[in-house]
Amino acid sequence: MSGEGGYGAPILGPVYLPPRQKRIVDEVLRGAASVDEVAERLHVKREDLMRDIEELRARGLLRVEKRSRAYYELTGEAQKYLESGLPEARVLMVLEKAGRPVKREELSSEAERLGVRLSPKEASIGVSQLARTGALKFTPEGIVLGSPEKAREAVSKTAEALRRLKSGKPVDEKVLSELRRRKLVIRRERAELLLSPTDTLRFLEERGMIKVGRVITTLTPEDIESGAWREAYFKPFDLSVEPPTPSYGRKHPYLEFLDWIREILVSMGFEEMKGPHVELELWNFDALFQAQDHPAREIHDTYFVKGRPRGRFSDAEYMERVARTHRDGWLTGSRGWGYEWDPERALRLVLRTQTTAVSMRTIYSRGPGEYMCFSLDRVFRPENLDAKHSMEFYQLEGIIVGRHVTFRHLLGFFREMARRLGLGEVKVKPAYFPFTEPSVEGFIKHPHLGWIEVFPGGMFRPEVIEPLGLKGFNVAAWGIGVDRIAMTVMGIDDIRLLFTQDVEWIRSQPRPLIREMLR
Amino acid sequence: MPVIGVTWWDLERLLGRDLSREEIEDSLPRVKCELEEIEGDTIWYEATHDRPDLYSAEGLSIALKGLLGVEEGLVRYNARDEGVSAVVEGPSYRPYALFAVVHGLRLDDEAIRQLMQLQEKVHITYGRDRRKVSIGLYDLRGIKFPVRYIAVKPEEARLVPLDMDEEMSLKEVLEKHPTGVKYRHLLEGRPEFPLIVDAEGKVVSFPPIINSEEFRVTEETRDVLIDVTSTDLEAARRVLAIVATAAYVRGEEIGIVTVKGPWGSEASPRVEPDAIDYNVELNEKLLGLSIGVEDTVRLLSKMRMEAEPRGDTLTVRFPYFRTDILHPVDIAEEVAMAYGYDRIEPLTMKPLHPGREAGIEVFTRSIRESMVGLGFTEVNNYMFTSTNLLFTKMGIQGEAIEVENPKHEAYHALRTWITPQLLQTLSSSKHAGYPLRIFEAGDVVIPDKDADNLSREERHLAYAVAGRGVTLTDGLAYLKALLNLYSMKYTLKPLQHPSLIPGRAASIHVGEAEIGFIGEVHPRVLTNFALTVPVVVAEIDLGALRKAYLSGREK
Repeated sequence: MSGEGGYGAPILGPVYLPPRQKRIVDEVLRGAASVDEVAERLHVKREDLMRDIEELRARGLLRVEKRSRAYYELTGEAQKYLESGLPEARVLMVLEKAGRPVKREELSSEAERLGVRLSPKEASIGVSQLARTGALKFTPEGIVLGSPEKAREAVSKTAEALRRLKSGKPVDEKVLSELRRRKLVIRRERAELLLSPTDTLRFLEERGMIKVGRVITTLTPEDIESGAWREAYFKPFDLSVEPPTPSYGRKHPYLEFLDWIREILVSMGFEEMKGPHVELELWNFDALFQAQDHPAREIHDTYFVKGRPRGRFSDAEYMERVARTHRDGWLTGSRGWGYEWDPERALRLVLRTQTTAVSMRTIYSRGPGEYMCFSLDRVFRPENLDAKHSMEFYQLEGIIVGRHVTFRHLLGFFREMARRLGLGEVKVKPAYFPFTEPSVEGFIKHPHLGWIEVFPGGMFRPEVIEPLGLKGFNVAAWGIGVDRIAMTVMGIDDIRLLFTQDVEWIRSQPRPLIREMLR
Repeated sequence: MPVIGVTWWDLERLLGRDLSREEIEDSLPRVKCELEEIEGDTIWYEATHDRPDLYSAEGLSIALKGLLGVEEGLVRYNARDEGVSAVVEGPSYRPYALFAVVHGLRLDDEAIRQLMQLQEKVHITYGRDRRKVSIGLYDLRGIKFPVRYIAVKPEEARLVPLDMDEEMSLKEVLEKHPTGVKYRHLLEGRPEFPLIVDAEGKVVSFPPIINSEEFRVTEETRDVLIDVTSTDLEAARRVLAIVATAAYVRGEEIGIVTVKGPWGSEASPRVEPDAIDYNVELNEKLLGLSIGVEDTVRLLSKMRMEAEPRGDTLTVRFPYFRTDILHPVDIAEEVAMAYGYDRIEPLTMKPLHPGREAGIEVFTRSIRESMVGLGFTEVNNYMFTSTNLLFTKMGIQGEAIEVENPKHEAYHALRTWITPQLLQTLSSSKHAGYPLRIFEAGDVVIPDKDADNLSREERHLAYAVAGRGVTLTDGLAYLKALLNLYSMKYTLKPLQHPSLIPGRAASIHVGEAEIGFIGEVHPRVLTNFALTVPVVVAEIDLGALRKAYLSGREK
């Protein structure tokens, strides 16, 4: 027969136990039948054994049975009597010492005379207890001790019972019920764990296969190399203990989200374009057919570089086309804005308010053709920083340039983008942007906020693209405030958190996986 | 964009029929208006900048009539020659003024509120806060033609301005009347102010500031005079058409005034439509919709236009109050809106070519992933910061691109390096415990007089190690590990830098190029950031590193 270890594993060789578990096993084999008993023999507290007992049980060496056991606890009154003697003992003492009949009401004063403490109430208790044994005689002269032996026997029986109960020893049922009646003891119950050796333990013990092993908490290379691990006991771990947090590196959750956005755009065939943050008004506004007195070009909506310096731009021909377009539409078929365009104004420097400036530079340098580009970078607008507004944020900008690109392709892009981001259905509504016609705003359904605008876009106006050299081409363009989408995916509602300086917060955020990409 | 409030019952009164909530919700977006909320009887919507004609219930009712099929095609005006004239001899800086008369108005409190709202919203937006266009409405009673738009010396004229009961000189209006104070910058430094007077010399208005109390429009007003003064004649014509049309919607007849100005003489307001040619091919080419001539005509009629076909080309007539029709594409949008955006089937564009990320982004991501692998936490700071942080707190002198109009002193300059923000981040993250290892890869902007935009952008990597016992060696260990991952060798040269401890700082070189620095932050600087543990920082130009990496690969 071979023993079976805990968790169903067969025990093939000797079992190494830590010293204390070995002692527990030994005591159980020697007949200790409960945890309390083992605890008493090992001079330890019962609580300290519980983990070892549980482990021995799990290893299949001990059988553990739970039983509830009654025990009796002395009341405060009984405790007092243990120190000062039972009232009946003291009454007995007074009667013996007095050697004459003593009146019931004089017992207390007689006791005092004899140097015995006995209150009238105690005297009364003591007399009635002694009377029950039949040791007293009541005469007109007073109480007389009829049978001192009987009295002594009864008193010592009760005192002995109290002492036994205090040390947890059993006492006679009759005495016990009497003590309970006198409210000297209270019955209580406690769970008792009964222990017995399993067959496995006996099997191993008989063959001397229960051994004391060294306790290993941390396995060392030396233990492994020397083979000492074979005769060691591996201290098990408490799985309920919270482990420490290791130091680790991670990407910023928002920037990680933007990495995914890049991946989506690239997979859709878009090439990334780049442009400067400090931009000529020419590219930020004028090229976009935003009139020079357009409110968006005021200080409330645009950051101007301090000192109002002018940048440089050397393509006079393009400048002239823009000037004409703003004035009378040039050759675009437009009415124009009907004002004298100021080239100096176009050279002023701003912090770009829209990455559409990057699209302008891209179309300017690439000219006519069939291409799709995106940019994912920061733009700036004069806003007070709060939960909903930021003076600096990311914009996801894109253009689809081609002879046969139409408004439907723009709507198709929105639908596809929403699908890849798992944003659900897109609802589109007419909108107004100075540089696109038709213009559109795409809404998605936010779980808490309802329909929110996330996809603004449109077809670049001829006044925008024809001066750039695109005749007979269309450009579908969009500029998405990607922060809002990120906040939806990340489940946060304060835009400032995207730029928080709290490293702890960054570390605590879940990684922003786009669920749709995992399907 | 302006938020407009109209009253449900007033709108129904103007439409001549009931209007359901569904009709409101469905129709507003089709004229680019976004329903904000319906609050009791008030409907709030946001209108767009290109449609100032929708800034009141009157204009909105014209558009809704078309969409709801109550009345389609052009607005028909009942107009006659008023047989009067206005003379325009205003100041050269605000040379244009146009006038109109509208008869038979029935005004109540709500009607007046709408006309005032229209004025106010047009002033703020299309009127560029009255700089470009300002509007006045007056009770015609007691005004004798010809009215004159003239230029006067500030002390020469007096009027009782609206909401006042004493006569003031123009100068006093600018000093005492709240509206005068608000708009006096428009006349600042001008020797002569604009004024509108009637044939008897009574002051009608002091544009673009305030009207005369004497001709205030009230519920008793039956006939109005409208004026628009402007720096732009065409803008004045459009705005006058908007306001005169709005008044006409609540009245019976428009009176045409002959305006005589330095540019010539014209009948005002313009009640004849404007026109533009539209080739229906654009439906297909721009919108991707095959909508033929007939359907286009029908759709445009719903948008209160009239189109007359000549082959594939339509002559589209539209009301003069439309400021947004500049090009045939604007008609295409009208067609699309009338058709319904929600009915347009999206079309997915097949990739025209393989996509690709910008090289610097690919390189940056690789570096970021390396830093994460080395146990660093990535942080993300604004490029916008302050010179105090960039230079003063770091104990150095420097220059950054700053903005003229910052909203907050903490955000007025573009960062020239990232290190200061890493120290700021460490300072805000003391509760995170030490050691702390953080990094950021991002753009910095360095002033550069030789560049066309007077600045140069660099992509930087900055990292910091902070904690008790941290020394330069810790920083160097990570530098070595990082560059090892790219098989790159570097050399160090001692560096004197006021932000760093002397003898514990170095410039980093790869090949010939200096790519950055590394060093222990000077305790003086740490104190500025309320940091009490040693910090090693390094900042590297990733553009330069990428270049060195590429040239190393090519060898």
